[in-house]
Order: sequence, then structure tokens, then C-alpha cells
Amino acid sequence: MSLLEVHNLTKYFGGLCANDDISLTLEKGDLLGLIGPNGAGKSTLFNCICGYHSVDMGKVIFDGKDITGLSAYEVARLGLARTFQVYVASGDLNVEENVMVGAFMRTRSRREAREKARAVLKELKLEPLGTSLVSELPVAAQKRVAMATALATEPKLLLLDEVAAGLNPAEIDEIMGIIRHLHEMMGITIILIEHVMELVMRVSQRVIVLDSGRKIAEGDPAVVAKDPKVIKAYLGERYAAEKIGST
Amino acid sequence: MEALRNALDFSDFPRIDLVVAACGAAFILVFPLFPHSSFAMATMIQFLMFSLYGMGWNTIGGYGGQVDLGKAQYVGIGAYTTAVMLIRWDIPFWVSMPIGMCFAVTWSFIIGYPLFRLKGHYFAIATIATSLVLLDVFEVWEFVGAAKGLEISPIKYSPPDFLRLIFKEDVYYYYVIAGFFFLGIFYINWFRNSRLGYQLRCIKDNEDVARSLGINVHWAKIKTYAIATAFVSMVGSFHACYIKNIEPEDTMSLDISILIALMAMLGGAGSLWGPVIGAAVLIPLKSYLKEWLGARAGLLGIDLIIYALIIMVISAVEPRGIWGVIERVRGRKK
Repeated sequence: MSLLEVHNLTKYFGGLCANDDISLTLEKGDLLGLIGPNGAGKSTLFNCICGYHSVDMGKVIFDGKDITGLSAYEVARLGLARTFQVYVASGDLNVEENVMVGAFMRTRSRREAREKARAVLKELKLEPLGTSLVSELPVAAQKRVAMATALATEPKLLLLDEVAAGLNPAEIDEIMGIIRHLHEMMGITIILIEHVMELVMRVSQRVIVLDSGRKIAEGDPAVVAKDPKVIKAYLGERYAAEKIGST
Repeated sequence: MEALRNALDFSDFPRIDLVVAACGAAFILVFPLFPHSSFAMATMIQFLMFSLYGMGWNTIGGYGGQVDLGKAQYVGIGAYTTAVMLIRWDIPFWVSMPIGMCFAVTWSFIIGYPLFRLKGHYFAIATIATSLVLLDVFEVWEFVGAAKGLEISPIKYSPPDFLRLIFKEDVYYYYVIAGFFFLGIFYINWFRNSRLGYQLRCIKDNEDVARSLGINVHWAKIKTYAIATAFVSMVGSFHACYIKNIEPEDTMSLDISILIALMAMLGGAGSLWGPVIGAAVLIPLKSYLKEWLGARAGLLGIDLIIYALIIMVISAVEPRGIWGVIERVRGRKK
């Protein structure tokens, strides 16, 4: 049984089709990259899977359970965690307390939540920041805190939304190290949304490319990167024509 | 057991705070032993009552960030439940207070469920509206005395009556409300570090993130609103026995709602000490302003002008109130 199955998912915003008949499956232990230019419908797909948007057509099955139409918090409780591009849980709380908000999903006890938060912070090498206020941290560290918070909910599947946006190359390397660590050492299944191709190509086992709401390619990163349809989607018709014409 | 330990755990505050808090607590405990005017005593009782109102408001308004301007309706529910039960059926305070809390909490669920579909200013306006509607209902409801209200006549009882909370001397009332005050502090101290307390701060800052962490945002708000309500209704019941004469206009007017929210915001919304600091500043100010400027100089309404000024200063200078200023000064020193 697959961990996540999306069947023919379609989502309209008014007359605009943001996701058109998208299907995908994800096995336990996968690391899937979801890429596409701006406006391709990546975030919409994320939001449909997690219950932030209603789905117009199609089905989402997570861990054998139909989660289409469930509320976002119910989806989260089933073990499907996500991060947002910039947001941490609360600016009033310090790093450890932020992560505790995530840990409180599985326990009522403050002591257990604190132990869980410390363990996750240790795992992500964020311990030294434990008592800092999140608002005082650089963006890269805030993103790691957001990841730690999502991890503290003990997810079966983690959806990371543009974790590399706004980071410099050194910080991207660091985040990639963390993603690899989560995947390989902790065995967490991950879907990665990114429009920076490079990051996805380097860490993903498999990528899906969206363009204008449609799935245009799927497969091994190296193969997909050479796919003319993908090049066209990213770099425009003329560039693709020249490039393909010249080779 | 763990809950009790957490309620008594103030270890995350700097020592200086705890020293100041201990001095304040000691002052509250020994105040009646020193010579004082009955006016000062009444002001102190008002201070303790409004601290408790503010603590209740602070759960949903401060930690949860949902500005609620309708707390007076729950003062009314608590006060009327206790007064009606005492006058009609001679039911003592300690029984009618929890019943009043149940009524208030039930009512809070009924209006909280639709109201929390609203956000921000719309929510605030809706709370004012429900409170005013309830005020109008009590104005015409004969069973509870309609517009002329209810009067608990102490002559029928033999004070000090600890069961019905009928006393001749204010000092008894003082210690009862001081007891509630300390329980309230411990409760809020537990609350702010409870699961709901953490989740609320997340809801305040970003509801989408809250949902992604498995938080049922709507239900969490309703629950917290019920907690705030229970606090306010409890003090409302006390108010009935203490004032003995309750009218809809006095107990559940919009002024009360605004004052409750204002105090918590002045002291510092979303902090443990905020409502207490706010009440300690505003209640003496209000009493003495009324006494000196209102009664003696004939400047009625001056207190409202001062509230308005305070609101403007808070929103312009430091939205986190007096506690925010303290934190900022501390941050600079570090």
C-alpha cells in the first residue's frame, strides 16, 4: 500500500484551473521533488492534499484512508505535517517553546512536550538556539525551526514548502544536509516543493514537474532535467527550440 | 499532580519579578490590618475583582489575540444567577456561583460557536452586540426584576453569613475575593504553560500554521472563551453579594466590558502580570478621579476622557502595554 495516493485531483479558482487531473503515488521512504515555474500549481496541490483548499474533483488517500475534504488539523493529526515558506508557530515564544507547540499534538503533558522538543532540536542541531526568540533569528534558522516544529508532530509524511527560498548558497547546502538527514537517518518520507531546480535535482530520488496546473513530466531527476517539455516550461518556447535545435 | 506542580512553577520569571510579586502578595494579605478608610478598602476590593476579570479576559484576548468587548454579559449572568437564587430560593453563594458559571459557559458556547467564525474587528463588534442584546433582555425580564434590578436585603440574614456571603464589614469580602485572586493567578500560571496556552499563541500569530500542527483552531478558541467566561461569571456572582443591589445598567453595561479589556491591555495583554498591573493602575485612578474630579469639581465624565487617552497612548507607543515597556527596558539592558 502506498503512503500517499492522489487520484485525478482537479482544483479550480473561479475559471482558472490551478490543478488539472493530477495523479501521483508516493511510497514509504520516498523523497519526491515537486517542481515547476511560478504559478504552476505546486502550492495549490500542497494545499489540496493538506486540507487547506477544498478539492473540486479527485481523491487524496493517505496511509490507506481517504482524506479528501478533511480539515487541515485533522489531516495533520493523521501524520501529514507541512511547513510554510516563512512562518514559525509564534513570535511570542522562544525556539524550544515553538517546537513544543508541535509536540503538543501528541501529548497533553508539558514535560513530555519539552522532552520531545529538545530531542528534535538536538536532531536538527538547533540546541544552542533553544532559548532565543524566533524573531531575532536569521531566516535560515527560522526555517529550520519551522521544520523542527513540523517534525515534533511525529509525521509519517512531511511536506516542505520552498525551504530554500530566500537563502544563500551556503544556507541552501545546510538545509539540504538536514533534508538528507531526515530522509536517510530518520527514515521520514518527504515531498519537497521548490522552484529552485538545483536543490530538488540534488536531493530528490524522483521529481514531478508541474506547469500551468498539469503534470508534464515525472521520473529520475537527471532524465527529467533534459526533457524538452520541462526545459520549455522553465525557459520559454524560443529558448527550448534553439537549444533542442542545436543539439 | 503535574498540573499542580506546573501551577506553582514560576521559575521562568527573573528573580526580581518574583520578589516584587511576593511583596505585592504580602501587601494584599496584610492590607486590612493597617488603618484604612472604607473608601480605600472598597478600591482594593474593586482592584482584586477587576484583576480577576482581566485575567479571564487575558486568556482569550491576550494569549489568544481575540479582542473580546463583551465580557459584561457574563458578569451579568453570574451576578443575576446568584442574586435570583438567593432571593427566591435562599440558595447560598457557594452553590449558586458554580451554577452561574455553568449558565455563563453554556451561553458562551452558544454565542462562541458562530462568533468565532468571525475575525478581528468583526469578532470584537459581534461580542459588543451580543452583550448589548443580553443587557436589553435583562432590562425587560420581570423575573429578574427588569430595569429596577434586584436587591439583596441584608436584614433578612444574620451577618457574617459565610454560606451566603452576606457580611456587614468589607474585610470579609476582601479576604474572599483575595482568595479567588490567588487561585486565579495560579490557574493562569498553569494555563499559560498548558497545551492550550501554547496553541493559543500559535493561533494568535498564524492560524494556518496552527492548523498544520493539528490544532482545531475554532474549538480551541471556543474552549478558551469558556475559560474566560468562567472567571468573569465567578466574580460576577461575588459582585452580587458584595454590591447587593444589581441593575442591568450597572452590572452589564458596555463600560464594564471596555474597562475589563482596557485594563488587561494597559497592563500587558498576553502576560501573567499584565491584568494585575493594569487593574492596579486603572482602578485607583478611576475611583479617585470619580471622587475628586467628578463628585467635588463636578467634572463628570472625565474618567472616560482619560480612558480614551490611555487607549491612544497604548496603541501608539507600546501595544504590549506596561509589561511590554518593562520587557523592552530589560531587553535594552541585556
